Amino acid sequence: MNKILVVDDDTDILSLVEIVLTMNDFSVEAISRWEKIDDSIEHFKPDLILLDVSLAGADGRDICKSLKHTNETQHLPVILFSANVEMGKYLQDCDAQAFIAKPFELSHLLDTIKLYVN
Amino acid sequence: MQVFTSVLVLTIVFLVFVITDIRSYKQRKVESMESLAQVVGTNCISTLEFNDDDAAKQILEELHTVSPEIIQAEITDKDGKLFATYIKPGAANFPVPADANENKFTFTGNRLFVTSPIISNNSTIGKVLLQVELSELQQIKQFKYELAALLFLFALLFSFLIAFFIQGYISKRLLRLVNTIKRVSKTGTYEPIADDGKDEISTLIAAFNKLMQQVQESQKRKDEFIGIASHELKTPLTSIKGYMDLLKLKEDRQPNKQFLEKALQNIKKLESLISDLLDVSKIQTGQLELTICEFDMDVLLDETIAAVQMVSTTHQIIRENKAKNEIVIADRQRIEQVLVNLLSNAIKYSPGEKEVFVESKKSGDELIIKVSDSGIGVPKEEQTDIFERFYRTKGISTHISGFGLGLYICKDIIKRHQGKIWVESQAKGSAFYFSLPLKKSE
Repeated sequence: MNKILVVDDDTDILSLVEIVLTMNDFSVEAISRWEKIDDSIEHFKPDLILLDVSLAGADGRDICKSLKHTNETQHLPVILFSANVEMGKYLQDCDAQAFIAKPFELSHLLDTIKLYVN
Repeated sequence: MQVFTSVLVLTIVFLVFVITDIRSYKQRKVESMESLAQVVGTNCISTLEFNDDDAAKQILEELHTVSPEIIQAEITDKDGKLFATYIKPGAANFPVPADANENKFTFTGNRLFVTSPIISNNSTIGKVLLQVELSELQQIKQFKYELAALLFLFALLFSFLIAFFIQGYISKRLLRLVNTIKRVSKTGTYEPIADDGKDEISTLIAAFNKLMQQVQESQKRKDEFIGIASHELKTPLTSIKGYMDLLKLKEDRQPNKQFLEKALQNIKKLESLISDLLDVSKIQTGQLELTICEFDMDVLLDETIAAVQMVSTTHQIIRENKAKNEIVIADRQRIEQVLVNLLSNAIKYSPGEKEVFVESKKSGDELIIKVSDSGIGVPKEEQTDIFERFYRTKGISTHISGFGLGLYICKDIIKRHQGKIWVESQAKGSAFYFSLPLKKSE
């Protein structure tokens, strides 16, 4: 079972993604505080991280960049998601694998995740 | 107008100046001749009393040395009978006007007639008449008129020069203001006008600058609000849409599933509206950026038609006159957005019809795309307005929803590609065209 770490400060979206992914046979850890990412990666050992861009107190793109510059985490695929579609332009800057615009189709979310975990 | 006023005022001033001067000269002449006539009269009292006309004539001839302008002098007795006369040698005979004897002085042409009674012991014993040729008056008149004309011409030239420079200075600043106003109304871009003068035009320019700053400030606040509001709206919408999608997966009972479908369809409309508002906000703040690449327009047309066809249950989208494999240099996603918009409009505004047509045609170094329908059409007077923000055709019935943003966004996208977008419409149906630059063949 593939493990997905979901980070979003909007708890409703967080629960929604958790439900959808769990229903589709993913093991999910959902956190609303970005400060806990390192801990979660250490104990949960995710196969992919789904990361919101506009987090309270942090920019998802900076977190992604930092993960990609750390030896232990650079192999982890990161998918960014945001309500601001313009954020999709910054994928290369932070080495993220994909971008999903909110609101998203559930099928599109699942298809994109499957693309990077299998 | 200002120069004309100056010329009129100058003409009046110079005329008054010349007339007053001539009048003053005449007045002086009358006074001096009256005095002379009185002196002659006094000197002739004894000649009249003693009937010595020779002595009287001698007195009159003396006038030649006193005032050479006098060409004729007469002394008449109390009965009006000529007593003595003097005519300047060589002077032309000029008849004495009838009223010259009644008035103290009379001007006839360039002659002055002055009469003065000869009084002795409080009784009038005769009259002196002097005829004066005002040859000097002609010279004065000529000189004054010439001077006035010269001054007038000089003043006119001077006022023209001043007017030319002032008008140039004023016109330049006013034209700059007019051009800025035109640019603002045409492109919406505004740069403050620099003007360091201290006159009314500076006040006008300063007031305009201030007004535009306020307009820009309020525009900026409004656009920021649209941007933030649209972004903030998307977050709860993501939850609503997601949970309803989930519910739809779980719910198999009717009519619950149908109700959910309806709700989701409306969420899609809301999503598209928010997206349009965001695009407008980006256009207004200059943040709409293009990601330019080369792509095959033929493929994009087929893909977009297929995607729109999937959601349209009423119309069939038919492709005609295919321009094969034409490579354009553009933002693929934005051009797709324009196509979706035009196709959706064609379907939306042709209720009861069954077909929408798409054509692509090469024209010079451009590719022209045409999307046409047989719907309600666009009246001629509204064919420019429909590309403006929040503009909706007046004839549209209220059941056709829309915010009047789609074509405005399309126009901006196409404009940013150095292309053109326009509509042609008759009584029934309308055809929307847009052009895109083709990749130049190497």
